[in-house]
Amino acid sequence: MSLKNKLNRLKPHLGSGKQEDLSKSSHLIKEEHSGGSVIPSEKEPEIVIPYLDQWKAEGALPYFFDNNYCLVREVRFPLDQKHGHFRFRDFLQAVKVWNEIGISHPLSALGHHPEELFFFDTETTGLGGGTGNTIFLLGYASIKGEELVLRQHVLPNPGAEVPLYQSFLESVNYKTLVTYNGKSFDWPQVKTRHTLVREHVPKLPSFGHFDLYHASRRLWKHKLDRLKLSMVEKEILGVLREDDIPGHLAPMIYFDFIERKQPEGMLGVLKHNEIDILSLVTLYTHLTFQICGLDEGQTSQETYEVGRWFSSLGEKGEAVKRFDSIAEGDDHVSAHAQLALAYERKKVRDWEKALILFQAVADSGISDIGREACIEGSKILEHKLKNPQIALEFVHKALKMDEKPAEIPPLFLADALKRIKRLENKCRKFPEEADKRTGNDLSIL
Amino acid sequence: MIMKLRKNLQEILEDLKIHEQFKENIVTWRTIEERPAKNVPLPGDLHVQLKEALENRGIGQLYTHQKTSYETVMSGKSIVAVTPTASGKTLCYNLPVLQTVLSNPNARALYMFPTKALAQDQKSEINEIIQETGMNINSYTYDGDTPANIRQKVRQAGHVVITNPDMLHSAILPHHTKWVSLFENLKFVVIDELHTYRGVFGSHVANVIRRLKRICRYYGSDPVFICTSATIANPLELAENLTESEMTLIDNNGAPTGRKHFLFYNPPIVNKPLNIRRSATLEVRKLAGELLKNKIQTIVFARSRVRVEIILTYLQELVKNQLGPKSIMGYRGGYLPTERRKIEKGLRSGEIYGVVSTNALELGVDIGQLQVCIMTGYPGTISSAWQQAGRAGRRHGESLVIMVASSSPLDQYVIQNPEYFFTQSPETARINPDNLIILIDHMKCAAYELPFKAGEKFGNVETEELLEYLTEERVLYQNGDKWYWMNDSFPAHNISLRSASQENIIIVDQTNVANVKVIGEMDRFSAMTLLHEEAIYLHQGTQFQVEKLDWEEKKAFVREVDVDYFTDANLAVQLKVLEVDKLLEHPDMEIGYGDVSVRAMATIFKKIKFETHENIGSGPIFLPEEELHTSSAWISLDKPLADMGHERLEQGLVGTAHALNHIAPLFVMADPQDIHVVPQVKADHNEKPTIFFYDRYPGGVGLSEKIYTGMVPVFRETRKMVTGCQCESGCPSCVGTEAVSETAKRDTLKIIDFFLDASASKER
Repeated sequence: MSLKNKLNRLKPHLGSGKQEDLSKSSHLIKEEHSGGSVIPSEKEPEIVIPYLDQWKAEGALPYFFDNNYCLVREVRFPLDQKHGHFRFRDFLQAVKVWNEIGISHPLSALGHHPEELFFFDTETTGLGGGTGNTIFLLGYASIKGEELVLRQHVLPNPGAEVPLYQSFLESVNYKTLVTYNGKSFDWPQVKTRHTLVREHVPKLPSFGHFDLYHASRRLWKHKLDRLKLSMVEKEILGVLREDDIPGHLAPMIYFDFIERKQPEGMLGVLKHNEIDILSLVTLYTHLTFQICGLDEGQTSQETYEVGRWFSSLGEKGEAVKRFDSIAEGDDHVSAHAQLALAYERKKVRDWEKALILFQAVADSGISDIGREACIEGSKILEHKLKNPQIALEFVHKALKMDEKPAEIPPLFLADALKRIKRLENKCRKFPEEADKRTGNDLSIL
Repeated sequence: MIMKLRKNLQEILEDLKIHEQFKENIVTWRTIEERPAKNVPLPGDLHVQLKEALENRGIGQLYTHQKTSYETVMSGKSIVAVTPTASGKTLCYNLPVLQTVLSNPNARALYMFPTKALAQDQKSEINEIIQETGMNINSYTYDGDTPANIRQKVRQAGHVVITNPDMLHSAILPHHTKWVSLFENLKFVVIDELHTYRGVFGSHVANVIRRLKRICRYYGSDPVFICTSATIANPLELAENLTESEMTLIDNNGAPTGRKHFLFYNPPIVNKPLNIRRSATLEVRKLAGELLKNKIQTIVFARSRVRVEIILTYLQELVKNQLGPKSIMGYRGGYLPTERRKIEKGLRSGEIYGVVSTNALELGVDIGQLQVCIMTGYPGTISSAWQQAGRAGRRHGESLVIMVASSSPLDQYVIQNPEYFFTQSPETARINPDNLIILIDHMKCAAYELPFKAGEKFGNVETEELLEYLTEERVLYQNGDKWYWMNDSFPAHNISLRSASQENIIIVDQTNVANVKVIGEMDRFSAMTLLHEEAIYLHQGTQFQVEKLDWEEKKAFVREVDVDYFTDANLAVQLKVLEVDKLLEHPDMEIGYGDVSVRAMATIFKKIKFETHENIGSGPIFLPEEELHTSSAWISLDKPLADMGHERLEQGLVGTAHALNHIAPLFVMADPQDIHVVPQVKADHNEKPTIFFYDRYPGGVGLSEKIYTGMVPVFRETRKMVTGCQCESGCPSCVGTEAVSETAKRDTLKIIDFFLDASASKER
């Protein structure tokens, strides 16, 4: 019996290893080859490249290596060109800021020239890690003199990874990668695919890495549901995409491209990748100004998030500066900033200033952080300032914060009641101590 | 009960010999005398540290088979060591592996165990030796429970990586570029419990090993395989088929065993005309109850999940007052891992006295020494029975094994032919790595891992046609002389090594509306008969009723109930021959082999009362038909039986099929569910009276093919079983209950004889 018959008979049972998308891809592939060119093969000295004219028209040239080739497209942008709210030239300013301002931060370009940063993004044939997920497009941009130069290395067929990585590794001598989620996706995938051709191409250099995805999460997760780059572009950076090909279609378009060789669909993917990379430049510029406090349009919420970031990095001075700048208002963010400041004061054992700030938060009328502030204040009063009487008042205040007692979280309530009991005991045992302290410390209240 | 009245095992043995209620039912009492150890000195070339480490652990000598394994492996040959329970098999591989790593710290070994629990066990064992040597050797488990933060360390620095085939299939091989240091330096692949890799699972694993070898070749390594197996008929053949490597068989077992009493217990006949015996379950309840009352640690094996739960319910009730319900537990596949770990620990510490298990505990999970093992029915294979028996009295001291027969023909055959059981091992473990469905699945995974080159073989398989097929399916893309993966999926994620049907049904307990939780899962085919609406599903002795089965969404919603019955469902089967591959024609009979289409549908279920096992109600099952394309062997008889009349022919065929279905699995080492036997008075393809044997897995895993080549012995043994049955005109123990006519048994024998005569006539 022929294997083919058998395979066809078993077809209903053979469904599981591939995804439904195949049916979709097959109608994309219906058209016949129209280029008429031969697939290049190692035996032929002459490598014929299908649709070369069309590629050339788009700035792409073949790169030959090892009897094979890949395509490298180059586009140059003048620094005065605007992408979203910024010009590329503003990025030079951003690097300058880092070098002058002396703020220590993971995104700091201190010690870097603008030319040393390398904005990088890939397109792949599937999602997630795994050896079989092929990178078919390596794109990056960097500053060269008065221009931003963008290069895209395209894999013309799956057998051409050696020229792809050869051409790529030959031309990258930068210090630091700038990516969007590249730490967990793009770069590990580059490493994976590089491993498969490592005997034929140069080693992967080691880079510094600014992953702007994590920065964007810190700053904007309060206002964006999803932190996809396209969302950040639209909502934050003012980048408009026209006729853009959605990224998730890229694999299908690539499969179609290697079947038919016709570059049209791929050019759309290249355009998509180009915008992604240009947006990284704008995003880095914008983030720099945000972090360094140089963006006049910064919302107080953003300032607060920057402050929190500094705080988590242990950069107290910068954190306090950010919180201070927004603590004056009477809105939620100001109250949060005051609370953050109070904790900063507490950390340096400045109990009195901390207490004033907790008091202010308690008076803000925002019940959840108000309650928290009351308890914090009461802790300082009880343990540091030894004033159980006032401490007790703070706890009572915490419980009165809500109109409906039902809204008090049960755990909080249980803790507060315990605290009250203990404080009442202390008041009874050491009334004189309580009296003695009254007067001097409580002027601040 | 007062303490001094508690009996020990010796006294129980006396009771069994004397007491009427037991004595009469014990049809065979074999005492297997203790066997002394065969020791040899430690190998002379052993590293000093390793030698000292062994001596510190009380190992001053080796058993013969351990030494032979060591020497053979160190000479660069792959081995399969046949090792009964508790024979110190781990040294067969740990010794050469540690010795090699001590001389060459770059060397790496990959250990593969069929379950996570076994992997955990082995890690502790090897780590104890390593600690004793004081050397810097890293051994880690790598499975679903390995925390993300140490995975990188395992990948780069693990000398010994302990994993399971599923993890190798879906996590290690598809990410091989992250494991370069392992694959470049892989010296050993250890495959423990080799005998579990049979049937569908084994066929999958054989392909995973093809992929593993392919990756090793890519990174320039060529590991030696070290396999260990329980006793089966063809360990060497299985190991060679599974690894496609040349193997040396090592079977000079030198481990000692304690004295073991092996009893065959046949429950009394309660219905003479129908030859129905008292239920094995009830007898087991009596025996196990007696033992557990005396706090003798006992393990009870049952063949199905349902049976486990029923016995558990009985036993927990029986000893409720003495021991507290938690001292007797169930253990089977459907439980969640944490639950299982807890039980294993309780058994080792002795907090748990009794355990009722499916064959899940057959494998080497370390549960310490139990004194008694009771099997509810013949476990289906001799190999399995010995594995289960090995659970009692692992190395020293006296132990007791009781096999309680059910009324099934296979059980009755075994129990009436003790010589068969005690003297021979005809079971062969079969795999079919070239099953097209399985093969194609793993070709996809392999292509994902590395492109295929023209002329490249996948294991022993020529790949060209398959690559072309996958290219047409637009999964692969051919460029020059290579085929590349060109799809956006991750193929290993959609391919399960374990279950025939890929998508399991999730079991959701909605007893507590505020706390709905998942309590287990089950494969689709089993779910048709076990999770249909109104079915009683048992989990840890608790009864649940299935309220809704959402076939589309693959969920069964159950609620706790308290009823005095269980449910049993019928499956109706239609079968059609699609293509005849092989045909042996005799004068009045033919034997065929080929592809068939089977359509199965669950029809009705019965409610069966616990104590009396009487039928107390039934209902329809509304589930779609499932279609299966598979391989089948069959026999067709010519005119012979025309004088028999249609009615009698039909009854005779039904009876013959029933009897065959119980004997056939014996010859192929399969679960009775894995191979089905179906009669047709007039088969569609040749219009002759025909009996089909088919594999239950799509594409077949080689069971029918084996039967095709051994049809005569299968019929001969079946005849022995039917004639040996004491009933007059057919009973559940021989021709089954569906063949109801007076002449069914006689006609069954007539058909069998007709076949045997016809097959002999060829030689004339």
